[in-house]
Amino acid sequence: MDPLLALAVVGALVAGSTLVGLAWRATQGRVRRVGTADDVELPGVELAPGATLLQFSSEYCSPCRATARVLGDIAASTPGVAHIEIDVAERPELAARFGVLQTPTTVVLDAAGRAHARVGGAVRASALRAELDRLVGARASVAA
Amino acid sequence: MTAQTAPARPAVIDPRGARFTASVTAVLLLVDVALGLVGGVAATLAERAVQPAFLLLVVLAAVFVWSAAAGVARNPWSVLFRRAIRPRLAPPAELEDAAPPTFAQGVGALVTVVGAVLHLAGVPYGLVGAAAAAFVAAFLNAAFGYCLGCRLYLLLVRGGLIRKRASTA
Repeated sequence: MDPLLALAVVGALVAGSTLVGLAWRATQGRVRRVGTADDVELPGVELAPGATLLQFSSEYCSPCRATARVLGDIAASTPGVAHIEIDVAERPELAARFGVLQTPTTVVLDAAGRAHARVGGAVRASALRAELDRLVGARASVAA
Repeated sequence: MTAQTAPARPAVIDPRGARFTASVTAVLLLVDVALGLVGGVAATLAERAVQPAFLLLVVLAAVFVWSAAAGVARNPWSVLFRRAIRPRLAPPAELEDAAPPTFAQGVGALVTVVGAVLHLAGVPYGLVGAAAAAFVAAFLNAAFGYCLGCRLYLLLVRGGLIRKRASTA
């Protein structure tokens, strides 16, 4: 192949990968509201009276550790809110039920086990606290 | 409340080292794509076995295999980072698990070995395709922190190909 054409192909490869990366990054850490379905049975998951932050992690996951710390801090400082971390390899049926396609994925459950919001990727504390305020109300705001 | 069935957390590495390793790997893979495009696929097996793009890909594949087997911390670029760059930097804000990048090195090994074999077999664009795929993964990791290997691992788990016994559930 002509070197100039090869250079153009290589440039296109870099540009295309950059666009994919930017598009992916825009989806990360965003709190998405999800439609409230029926109560779901969650065997082995103890729900908190306010909200439960259900974090799906895996062995091969760099941002899971940081997310676990952020969620742990929020749970510790917010009455009625608990953080539960689950390894997808140990509970693949739960990962399938919530359609987990990346780790970490965090699902915000209410006291009845209904999903209200979910966050794909590393969690930003401020965005999640705002969502919890909406869900558990004044109790969360006071503590936060 | 604390974690219920959190994954085991083994060896840790400096995340900037992992990014550095991915950056060097991405640049070399991009060079290999360019070499492969310019050089094409030679007519005979003996000629194909000494083409620059093939030789570079074999070196990269060997590095991938080594770091997948010995751990990403022993990848030559990681060693270079630890010896030459890290001493000049402030300590990292936090450490990362070594397991994800090591798993990713295994995925890279698979892709580059397939590319090398396709090239030897004379398949047009086999080497370029494999090197380009590995480049995209390494580049996304270096520039955005995206871990393609982690996603593949999750898909294998979801597909039931990897299963761990629940310890507490």
